[in-house]
Amino acid sequence: MFGQLIINGLAVGSLYALVALAMVIIYKASEVPNFAQGEMAMVSTYFAYMLLISNQVSWHVALLGTLVFAFALGMVLEFLFVRRAKDPTVLDLIIVTLGMQLVLHGLAGWKWGPDQKDFPLPISDTDVVQVGGLVISYLNLTTMIAALLLMGLLYAFFQYTKIGVAMKATQQNWMAARINGIRTNHILGITWGISSVIGAIAGVLFAPTSTLDPHLMWDPLIKGFAAAVMGGMNSLVGAALGGYLLGFIENLFGLYISLEFKSIVAFLAIVLVLWFRPSGLFSKHYERRV
Amino acid sequence: MAALLKVENLTKHFGGILALDHLSFEVQEGEIYSIIGPNGAGKTTLFNCISGLYRPDEGSIVFDGQELIGLKPHRIAEMGIARTFQNIELFSNMTTMDNLMLGRHIHMRSGVWHSLFLPWRKSLTAREEVAHRARIEEIIDFLELQSARNQLVKSLPYGRQKLVELGRALALEPKLLLLDEPSAGMNTEERQDLFFWLQDIKEDLGITIVMIEHNMQMVMDVSDRILAIDFGKKLAEGPPEEVANHPDVIKAYLGEDEDESAAVARQ
Amino acid sequence: MDMKRDYFEDVQLLKDRAQKIWFGILIITLILFPFVSPNYYIYLINYIAINVIVTVGLNLLIGYTGQISLGHAGFFAIGAYATTLLMLKLHVPFLLAILIAGFLAAAFGFLLGLPALRLEGPYLAIATLGFGMAVTTIIGRVPLFGGHMGLQTPPLSIGPFVAKNDREIYVVIMLFTFLMTLAARNITRTRVGRALIAIRDSDIAAEALGVNIAYYKTLAFAISAFYTGVAGGLMAFVLGFINPNIFDLLQSILFLAMVVVGGAGTILGSVMGAAVVSFLHIKLEAVQNIPGVGQFLVYLSQKWLSVSGLPNFTFVLFGLILIFIVVFERLGLYGIWLRSKIYWRTWPF
Repeated sequence: MFGQLIINGLAVGSLYALVALAMVIIYKASEVPNFAQGEMAMVSTYFAYMLLISNQVSWHVALLGTLVFAFALGMVLEFLFVRRAKDPTVLDLIIVTLGMQLVLHGLAGWKWGPDQKDFPLPISDTDVVQVGGLVISYLNLTTMIAALLLMGLLYAFFQYTKIGVAMKATQQNWMAARINGIRTNHILGITWGISSVIGAIAGVLFAPTSTLDPHLMWDPLIKGFAAAVMGGMNSLVGAALGGYLLGFIENLFGLYISLEFKSIVAFLAIVLVLWFRPSGLFSKHYERRV
Repeated sequence: MAALLKVENLTKHFGGILALDHLSFEVQEGEIYSIIGPNGAGKTTLFNCISGLYRPDEGSIVFDGQELIGLKPHRIAEMGIARTFQNIELFSNMTTMDNLMLGRHIHMRSGVWHSLFLPWRKSLTAREEVAHRARIEEIIDFLELQSARNQLVKSLPYGRQKLVELGRALALEPKLLLLDEPSAGMNTEERQDLFFWLQDIKEDLGITIVMIEHNMQMVMDVSDRILAIDFGKKLAEGPPEEVANHPDVIKAYLGEDEDESAAVARQ
Repeated sequence: MDMKRDYFEDVQLLKDRAQKIWFGILIITLILFPFVSPNYYIYLINYIAINVIVTVGLNLLIGYTGQISLGHAGFFAIGAYATTLLMLKLHVPFLLAILIAGFLAAAFGFLLGLPALRLEGPYLAIATLGFGMAVTTIIGRVPLFGGHMGLQTPPLSIGPFVAKNDREIYVVIMLFTFLMTLAARNITRTRVGRALIAIRDSDIAAEALGVNIAYYKTLAFAISAFYTGVAGGLMAFVLGFINPNIFDLLQSILFLAMVVVGGAGTILGSVMGAAVVSFLHIKLEAVQNIPGVGQFLVYLSQKWLSVSGLPNFTFVLFGLILIFIVVFERLGLYGIWLRSKIYWRTWPF
């Protein structure tokens, strides 16, 4: 029973971890919690849906096309909207991302209507693999592997590629990076692109277990935030761990306390973590400088 | 005279950096006590510890017979310690009047419920607003801020903003006033005015002043006693001439160049 | 010189004759309105007036104290459900019920404000977002609250007076809106309001002047939640029914939009923002009927998007307006109003 719980927790936690990673990447770069993250992923998922049902291309190509679309979407949003605010405060940036959230939500509803669609990903949610008494669906397995793979890629990207290092530098000290010849504006655009891609992967993997409509990512959004907050909003590793932890706690709550109210766990997690460790479970406390 | 403020063994770390290192000193009631030292010597950290923004790692701060460490900043303000900031911390979207009225915050009582009855002249809120505005008017007259009265403080020039901050601290009617570089950014004339105001604050209002100041002339002219610190440690303490001529002070504060430092000390 | 200066003038609502006259005209208009207006517009004004209450309350939090909330739909829901249930199940009279509902919302606001003490902007936004979503989840699943079907609102009655239509509800709502807006104005102009603004502009200076930040931040949350709760209670009567979907994330963002559009940190701006956003929101439900624009949008929908999804145009527009305001006019409508006032004063030079 407990083993199964861990497996289920890891599977759903992988999704939360992905959404959290997507948020943290942007948060680290510009200190803005991206409230449009969910809708960006939702729109990308719809894009994948269009390619998949058109039967024009194989599903591999469709998914690849989605990633390209997601990357472009992230960069375009950053360029069109986020960059336009001059000397923005945190509140300003939050409002801009909320504005983008409304725009994307509205556009998706306008284009695809409010009715719920089945997302035709050819990876089964019902066929299962059995490993020593534990059951895991193909989709969950794919999600878990994809998440791990992505984390590995991200790590390598930040560690070994020129752009990745430049991104890290920009996150740590924007001004110094700029002086050293890094084009910080480009870096920010790429950051949004990458974040959007990660979100899109989460969306595509989540949609088959749910139904595709413009509200698709609301629940994952708040859970991604919860995971990111648990990790401290500033740490990629923390966000990933936070995602898994949340997935696990949620399943534990569902099993022993209440299945119906499982989805408020995220909120409770946010409040409790922020109350006892305002800078996250996995990061050091900081003292305010005056 | 009794010591109004007694700091003992005050120590504060930031990570590996020792900002205050077992610092001890006493401030007597009614004096102007200046703190000097190079940038990063720990002066502002000391102020932040006194006003409760930082919690020191060790030591004690006794004000008027009461321990301050562990108290919230607003409790410390209520006990009668007011301060200004190195980089002006005004409420920039308020008028000068409203900024000064915040100095009266601890002397007023009206809360949400009372404020609902503002339209009635006899209500607590209306009476308080009127009475305390009259009190503020005295400070405005004292600091010659009449023309700035109804202006947003963010539209005022730097020197006047510093004065509004000083006025706001005075409005609190403190026993102890902590001034963090009051003359920074002022021109000679404004500095001259400030000199006289500080004298008046000390003598007429009977407020004890602890002041961080970089302008040596100002420090030498106005201070009763001076404390020189570096790397969070006391270098020297005493009357202006004594401290200015102290060899350690000259070395730490003014660099190795003896001729130049002696010249400054003579000013 | 002017030794007899009267400082009461500083805090008076109406400082000169012109202001008194305008204020008089406003009151007379509000009183005469239900006698001359068609029913539809009364419904619209009721809807706007309720949103004015929310916006004023939310602005106390966002504009004055500098804290953000993306969960005010939650307080709105608490107010609506508490009022309805108190009247339905316990037969509490309307005025008492809505007051209790307001204080219940305030209590929740206070509780949410506690963790908010330790949070800076982004974290607070996330926590409040979570709160709003948690509230809708819970009311959607508890049988007492009618689940997803929701509840039917009882008739609005005060003593022997029973409001049978929008016109009669108008009287009650407008009284609430008027009094609560005035109250907010009084709060912001005096000690409490100054403390709130001080926290927004410089929290360390506020602390150093003896402002108890923890107290005032939670107080701001509680007051703001109270306003929103009362507004929610009133909204239940305007709609005639309530269900969890009314109080979703989009509603919270809409409230925020009202504050931002009107101008953060002004009461007058709140009124303008609530009026404009609510008006657009209602009008755009049938955007295809607006001449010119409507036809164009229908054409656009047929060609690229979908006609059935056209109502979503509202969200797109509101989203763009939010971004537009941050980029071009951060004080929103109030800022535009201030500027045009200066422009007309110096016109035609």
